[in-house]
Amino acid sequence: MRKMKALFTKKTILSFITSLLLVFSFFCRPREIKIPEPPSDRHQPYNFVGRKGMVVAAHHLAAKAGLEMLKKGGNAIDAAVTTAFALNASEPFASGIGGGGFMVIYLASEKRVTVVDFREKAPSGIPREIFNDEGKIKPDGLAVGVPGTLAGWVYSLKKYGTKSLADVTQEAIKIAENGFAVSQTFSRINKDQYEKLIMNAGEGTCYLNEGFPYEPGDLFRNPELAGTLKLIASKGIDEFYRGGIAQKVVKAVNEKGGVMDLKDLALYEPVEHPPLQGTYKDYTLFTIPPPSSGGVHIIQLLNIIEDWPVKKWGSNSPPYIHHLCEALRFVFADRSRYLGDPDFIKMPVEELISKKYAKQIVFQIKPDSLLDFYPFGRFDERKNDQGNTTHVCVIDRKGNIVSLTQSINHFFGTGIVPENTGFLLNNIMYDFSHDLSSPNALGPYRRPLSSMSPLIMFKKEKPFLILGSPGGTRIFSSLTQIIINIIDFDMSLDEAIEAPRFFTYSSQGKPRSISLESRFPEKTYETLKNIGHSIRIREAFDKYFGGAQGILILQDKKVILGGADSRRDGYGAGY
Amino acid sequence: MKKTFFTTFLLLTFFILVIFPQEEKKIASPLFEQPLLITSAGQSAEVRLASVLAKRGELNFILSKTATPKDLENIKTLALVLGVSLKGLGAAGLDVAKEKERVNLLIEEAQKKNIPLLCLHLGGEARRGQLSDAFISAFLPKAKMVIVVKSGNKDKLFTRICEEHKIPLVEVEKTVDTLEPLKNAFK
Repeated sequence: MRKMKALFTKKTILSFITSLLLVFSFFCRPREIKIPEPPSDRHQPYNFVGRKGMVVAAHHLAAKAGLEMLKKGGNAIDAAVTTAFALNASEPFASGIGGGGFMVIYLASEKRVTVVDFREKAPSGIPREIFNDEGKIKPDGLAVGVPGTLAGWVYSLKKYGTKSLADVTQEAIKIAENGFAVSQTFSRINKDQYEKLIMNAGEGTCYLNEGFPYEPGDLFRNPELAGTLKLIASKGIDEFYRGGIAQKVVKAVNEKGGVMDLKDLALYEPVEHPPLQGTYKDYTLFTIPPPSSGGVHIIQLLNIIEDWPVKKWGSNSPPYIHHLCEALRFVFADRSRYLGDPDFIKMPVEELISKKYAKQIVFQIKPDSLLDFYPFGRFDERKNDQGNTTHVCVIDRKGNIVSLTQSINHFFGTGIVPENTGFLLNNIMYDFSHDLSSPNALGPYRRPLSSMSPLIMFKKEKPFLILGSPGGTRIFSSLTQIIINIIDFDMSLDEAIEAPRFFTYSSQGKPRSISLESRFPEKTYETLKNIGHSIRIREAFDKYFGGAQGILILQDKKVILGGADSRRDGYGAGY
Repeated sequence: MKKTFFTTFLLLTFFILVIFPQEEKKIASPLFEQPLLITSAGQSAEVRLASVLAKRGELNFILSKTATPKDLENIKTLALVLGVSLKGLGAAGLDVAKEKERVNLLIEEAQKKNIPLLCLHLGGEARRGQLSDAFISAFLPKAKMVIVVKSGNKDKLFTRICEEHKIPLVEVEKTVDTLEPLKNAFK
């Protein structure tokens, strides 16, 4: 007993507790940065709220960077460019200065909408045939188009913004230097693209964590990108298009078998032109014309849907899905028949987006069966004519708006990183058609056909909806579904974005299977199969269908709502 | 004083053993021989990851994402990287049924040749789901050893199957942590 007492002296107990604490602190030491706490269920529809301004983007740090710019007195264009730079640092796998895109701008004081096109172009020396029999571009350097992003951002900033290049790069530099915790989305995409990164960026790249993909929670930093942005901020974009960075881009592309030269970069210029305009019921829509097909097809789809009793059919009901899928198949037939780069071919855009042509398509669609063939439209008067992304929405306190979609094409682009620059080069050449007789055939200086569709909708001449999405050829289908969800099915903005999605297309005039998220009722799949559709069920919230960002302006309530897609890491920041 | 420290040491050792049992089962002795053939079961990108791990572990290996029975010639271990990617399947010109058939044929041939199967699941939670789970359930019971990145076993699917079939399971925190158990598993 005495011995036992001796064992439990004050000293022993104190010494035990101290040791215990030491052991605990060892086992509980922080090993990695924590991911910011999302709402309990990130897929639960949630509208961000603002009154003066709002930025919605695919990463919380980028959205917050844009909001800070608005609060500092920057306008929507300043904030959009700030957000875009910040996305290069925070969501580098989807867009950046090595890519291209489109921006729709609404200038409130002028009540004018304009479009800035900074789509990548094919290098001057590109060979006529770059696709192999499997549809791949090899070597990878041939997949790189001349980047337009930086030229487009700076053009918009100089013409419509109020801040300097140094101002709008500040937050991006901070993000790149300090880093952030990698999300599930980042980690998964990083794993998916691992092979490409190992091949083209090498095991030592910052886009891999000591040669392995990043796990959720790992710290991602990109000091080289910070250095590049500092250089651009101090020397201007000539550094990128004519200076040291241009030389690094050309070297990196050509080392991987590409054909870009310094002249290609020096000659790159963005283009500003009027928007494409359409209507749906009481709403007017402004979006982008070719070389993106997205704007044309959204207007086309809305024209087709306009006369259908979609409200009666019900949201995501089998008749609604069937009819919209049949419409999509017609639209894809037109896409491959007519659309390409307007600098090189003439296209019947006015005819394609006319209500008259939509009625012709509606007339052919059967309510209870599939067509065997989906012909492209024929327009007598012009019969001789030849012929993975991110989205940012911004509105400022004066009502100026930017709807910006940009990309490096596939996630992580080519995986090629010019030496010590920290940014990824696009693989946009994959957007050209394999068919040399296609209107979207490859050629020097040509811009490949895109599906991006940044848009702004107005109701009675007042801004109502700002919307856009990544997702390749699913973009215009997904955006159409979101618009119908809001206007016809009375959903709130984020409810409309999170609602289950579907997609189909036609190829060589033949129907392809419908891809649907797995959240539809079993009965819906069965009904569609009975009609004759083959179906392919995908994940419940599948980024295959894009990652839409939107802003809804409730004029009567003086409230701005932001909707950010949980299929990616969307986030809204309002004030 | 000596007694105090001794008692503290004993108590502490006991405490650590009770509170922090070792999560990872150490493999007593190497189970596999080289060379190994690394292939995919589902065409996810993790197959390439496995090859980088094998390279860093200085293992003698061959990588063939779509290996067939004839690739087992002179092979001593078959390493199957589990995880279905529709994109990967598409790129390889395969669908789920064809891929399952390919892997089945490969395992059958391996069994005929007494080549043991090592299963790896490196994609974590993100590489789970209906399709991947079907592959896991079909092929895991045939493994001689399994290494899984912990987040992929949150629901203990791997634990259940391994316990049921008495297969040694090694759980690792991150993909990079696979290196040590992988190296240790080979002679």
